[in-house]
Amino acid sequence: MAETGGPDRAPLLSLRGIGKNYGAVVAVRDVDLDVYPGEVLAICGDNGAGKSSLIKIMSGAQAPSAGTIRLRGAETRFRSPHDALLQGVATIYQDLALAPRLSIAANVFMGAELTRPLGLKFLRVLDRARMADEARAYLRRLSVEIADTRRPVAGLSGGQRQAVAISRALRWDAGIVIMDEPTAALGVKETAQVLDLIRRLKSEGRVVILISHNMADVAALATRVVVMRAGAKVIDRPAEGLTPDDLGHMIITGRDVAQ
Amino acid sequence: MPGLIERYGTVAAGLALIAAFAAFAPNFAALGNIINVLKDTSFLAIMALGFTLALTVAELDLSIAEVASLAAVVVGWLVQSKVSPALAIGAALATAAAIGVVNGFCVTVLRVPSLIVTLGTAAVARGLAFMATQGVAFVGRWPTGFTGLARGATLGIPNLVLWLAGVTAASWALITWTRTGAHMTATGEAEEAARLAGIATARMKRLGLLLSSLGAGITAVLLAANLSSAAPNMAGDYFLYAIAAVLLGMTMFAPGRPNVAGTVFAALVLKVLGNGLVLLGAAYYVQDIVLGAIMIGSVAVSTVVTNTPAFANTLAFRARA
Repeated sequence: MAETGGPDRAPLLSLRGIGKNYGAVVAVRDVDLDVYPGEVLAICGDNGAGKSSLIKIMSGAQAPSAGTIRLRGAETRFRSPHDALLQGVATIYQDLALAPRLSIAANVFMGAELTRPLGLKFLRVLDRARMADEARAYLRRLSVEIADTRRPVAGLSGGQRQAVAISRALRWDAGIVIMDEPTAALGVKETAQVLDLIRRLKSEGRVVILISHNMADVAALATRVVVMRAGAKVIDRPAEGLTPDDLGHMIITGRDVAQ
Repeated sequence: MPGLIERYGTVAAGLALIAAFAAFAPNFAALGNIINVLKDTSFLAIMALGFTLALTVAELDLSIAEVASLAAVVVGWLVQSKVSPALAIGAALATAAAIGVVNGFCVTVLRVPSLIVTLGTAAVARGLAFMATQGVAFVGRWPTGFTGLARGATLGIPNLVLWLAGVTAASWALITWTRTGAHMTATGEAEEAARLAGIATARMKRLGLLLSSLGAGITAVLLAANLSSAAPNMAGDYFLYAIAAVLLGMTMFAPGRPNVAGTVFAALVLKVLGNGLVLLGAAYYVQDIVLGAIMIGSVAVSTVVTNTPAFANTLAFRARA
């Protein structure tokens, strides 16, 4: 497998010297990180290791105190999660992302609704039929078949809801999808479904950046593992061959099992 | 998805009620009575539609009745002073809109919950209305160009009913056809999700509260035109009815959610109920008792049908990062 990238490939997202402090508390210190197309990058670490702060910086929820972010080689900054989304970095939030009483289609197209002209050129109205069709098509790309996307999200399973949230990222054609604990609230079957969704994103050449406490998920999915400890990146290595036990060991000791 | 009974159960009950009054209440089905009920429904439904739009963005507007009274006083005062009706109406709507803007500012910028803000602006509006009138009413022989807005008819249809049809159509088109409407709905249903999706949620909340006040302003102009008078408490009686219409409407068509069609039909049902009770000889206080029961019962029905607490979004005191 060549997903871990290398000097011959250009990173999609590149962090240099990223730091974040809240007053005197240092949450992230001097992190360099390159993310290559097709990777599933797992960011691991104990509670308080700085992985959530790092994710918030990458998703646009917080600005870094130090360092630079490059996207496709060009320096950028994310003013908000929406700004990051417009630049192709989508974040799937565990609980906050969906409006359960609204339709699947309305959720997929939230904030970016499709319209059609109504007779006159300047008068445009919502194109519900097209949104319903395209929402169904996005879900199908994720191997989730839902015939009627005008149904409310409330009736869906946890795995299907994740698929709806990911479909929104697809609607923006996000090249980078950040998922924070995507399987935390799910049962065994639904977890398997979400892991499959992540594999689909990877097979489309998208980057998935994953935070998970579930070492089995990480071992099954990740192509590369980054371990955070006290705000710093202490390990950055290919995930190939790592067992869940190896991962747990690396998080606790902060040392690479290969060393 | 809620089934037919959940969506149309109370609609059917309302139709049954109308049929029952038509059959048993003396004179209910007389054309004159039906037209009166429809005209009376117009005031109520237009005010309730405003509240519906505020609730669509998950904000309460408890100032609608006082805003309407104040706007009525403004239009009455100006018409009485021989100002042209168009200018007087413009001033009344601007007054109402100004309070809507203040409501929106306090809710989105000062982050005071709308429950508190609109109680406060209601008191302010009432004070201003009494200040303008010194406690008496403006009454007079006003130009028919103004009173005709409410009393006249066009092609045989009472103008009031046409105004209601227009406001209903505009509200419905806004919510179901436009991106702005979709953004208002998303804001009310899941504010955090909407914000993360790039929707200007604060702007949507300000818009909902502005439109709510504007609905009250339109109601005020029509009330003053209909009565040829304006008093500083004239819209007070519509307050509970308007809230009740929205709550009952939330049991119809789209259970648990404020919706335009539900509000308008519920307003009709409430007015039919009041009228029918009078025709059947019920004492005046029976209406209030029935109204209160309907308000509480409606929310109970919404909660049971949707299996989620009603107003969970609206009454959550938000802590925004």
